[in-house]
Amino acid sequence: MPKPSRPSIDSVTTIRDDGSRFFLHPADVRGFFSKHRRWTGLLLIAIYLSLPWIDIGDNPAVFLDVGGRRFHLFGLTLAFQDAWLLFFAITGLGFALFFVTSLLGRLWCGWACPQTVFLEHVYRPIERFIEGDAVQRRRLDASSWTKEKILKRTAKQIAFVTVSAVISHLFLAYYVSLAELWDMMHTAPKEHWGAFLFVFVFTGVNYFNFAWFREQLCIVICPYGRLQSALTDENTVVIGYDEQRGEPRGHVTDPEAGACIDCNRCVQVCPTGIDIRHGLQLECIGCSACIDACDEIMTKVKRPTGLIRYDSLNGLEGGETQWIRPRTIMYSILLLVGMAVAGWSISTVRPANMGVTRITGAPYIVSDEAVRNQYLVRIVNKRETVQSFSLEVIGAPAAFTLTGFTGMVEVGPLGEEVFPLVMQVPRSEYTGKFPLELVLHAGAEEFELRREIEFIGPDPKLLREDSP
Amino acid sequence: MSDSERHTPPVEGSVRKHVYDGIEEYNKRLPNWWLFTLYITIAFSIAYWFYYAQSGLPEEDGPRVEAEIARIEAERMKTSFELTDANLWAMSQQALIIEEGKTSFNSLCAACHLPSLKGKTENPAAIGPDLTDEEWVHGAEPMALYGVVDKGVLLKGMPAWGPVLGAEKSAAVVAYILSYHEAP
Repeated sequence: MPKPSRPSIDSVTTIRDDGSRFFLHPADVRGFFSKHRRWTGLLLIAIYLSLPWIDIGDNPAVFLDVGGRRFHLFGLTLAFQDAWLLFFAITGLGFALFFVTSLLGRLWCGWACPQTVFLEHVYRPIERFIEGDAVQRRRLDASSWTKEKILKRTAKQIAFVTVSAVISHLFLAYYVSLAELWDMMHTAPKEHWGAFLFVFVFTGVNYFNFAWFREQLCIVICPYGRLQSALTDENTVVIGYDEQRGEPRGHVTDPEAGACIDCNRCVQVCPTGIDIRHGLQLECIGCSACIDACDEIMTKVKRPTGLIRYDSLNGLEGGETQWIRPRTIMYSILLLVGMAVAGWSISTVRPANMGVTRITGAPYIVSDEAVRNQYLVRIVNKRETVQSFSLEVIGAPAAFTLTGFTGMVEVGPLGEEVFPLVMQVPRSEYTGKFPLELVLHAGAEEFELRREIEFIGPDPKLLREDSP
Repeated sequence: MSDSERHTPPVEGSVRKHVYDGIEEYNKRLPNWWLFTLYITIAFSIAYWFYYAQSGLPEEDGPRVEAEIARIEAERMKTSFELTDANLWAMSQQALIIEEGKTSFNSLCAACHLPSLKGKTENPAAIGPDLTDEEWVHGAEPMALYGVVDKGVLLKGMPAWGPVLGAEKSAAVVAYILSYHEAP
């Protein structure tokens, strides 16, 4: 079934009525936004490809060592015990996205989302280079399998698979480090089935996604696109068509007509196949291609540019965009609170962790002489060098004795060690449970870790009645 | 262009019957790729059902879990030697093993039994009993000693060190203690 020549707001352009895919070939576009978007995209790709190669301290800038349970982020080393910080990372990302979306719509989708960045700045340029512009690509699609078509298609698929493999390998490098990745690439797959299968499947998924699936991900799968109607309002800056200036559309020589000459350029360049003149739509990923396309035409016909532009729905109707409104105030407060708490919690991260647990068995022991509590202190060294520690106990009564973890102890590079902590109070001095604070001092460093524990025992009255 | 101009008027039968808050829904076909994912799950469920419920090929859960527990236990208990009284006595003659046992003893056990192993004999305020004399509270055989280190004596406050040390290091600790005694 042929597709109607123009996109309709009632259905998705890329799916025909019989359910088959209508494969888009967006036309080339040049202009202010395209240029800046290309540079932004290339910068993001450069960052993605280079982070595993740059060493900060003893480790790569970003190295999420899942196997060793150590996470190296720009010189900061986190252990598994610091996983609670993820809460701030995830909520921070969420509120930042909410905030940006309420102000500037789907800026993320069009400018920074990996789906768009890789598709627009890697895969489409390769396709453009091998198969030509939109018209040539459409002709190639329609043509029979000539020698030229087989050659071009093979070249394109090989290039796509290669690029997908590179992206997937670098992705793995974030988790195993480049050196380890290089090692794996030089040994047989059976030595590391998990990693091999991961890269194999991830390459396949990337290839399928960027070679064929493309905008379907944004339109059908991505939850963020669905959320935008809840996050934006009439004051959010989106990409819109100025109906008051543009309508009624007409020929360039028609004095009665509006500014839009109905050239359809904005539709031809759209990567999701919509007509922006229908207004804000779920499919719009805010890529700004139609802005550049329209501005180019407006310049040619000597009319002011900006018929399609970044503006709020209010602005497009001739009103003022309200930047400060309850929604943006709320999101920015939440964002600032989140950032402040995240900044504070990251500042509490030390190059070591201390865990204190009661030794399994009886919670306390009453001997002939004393009430006893036994703990295990687990120290995790997050440094690549040996660290020494000493323990101080605050809040103990006078008759309190401590054995086990006394004096200085050493923990090896990236090591974990347990030390017993045996505490006693003579029966005659025991007057009930009391809190204690443990302070772990790192040897040469000026940092300390604190934990609260409780010394417990039987009811002091029963203890006295039972005295030997 | 007003809203009504943007939309093409629905053809009879192209809109589904339900209306919510004045919102109607077109009766459109799912994308074929989406339907295809349904077919894949159907094919998968048949293969899954056949493999797990019919073929008899996969091992049953019970034996599989037991085998895995046994494997983990074996890994934990793995020693380069057999745990017997005679072997523990033999180990108590080997300097390297004694040295290894001493390291563990001093970091964990000395808190109660003192670095000299003499416990209450040396200092009445110490918690643990003397390990160098010939008086044993929980059995004199090396394997009984190993059991105390591995499983602990919970009522007396002797912790189970097996989970912390593992079999090999626990045996080394026993060997270190035995090195203070005459081998039979």
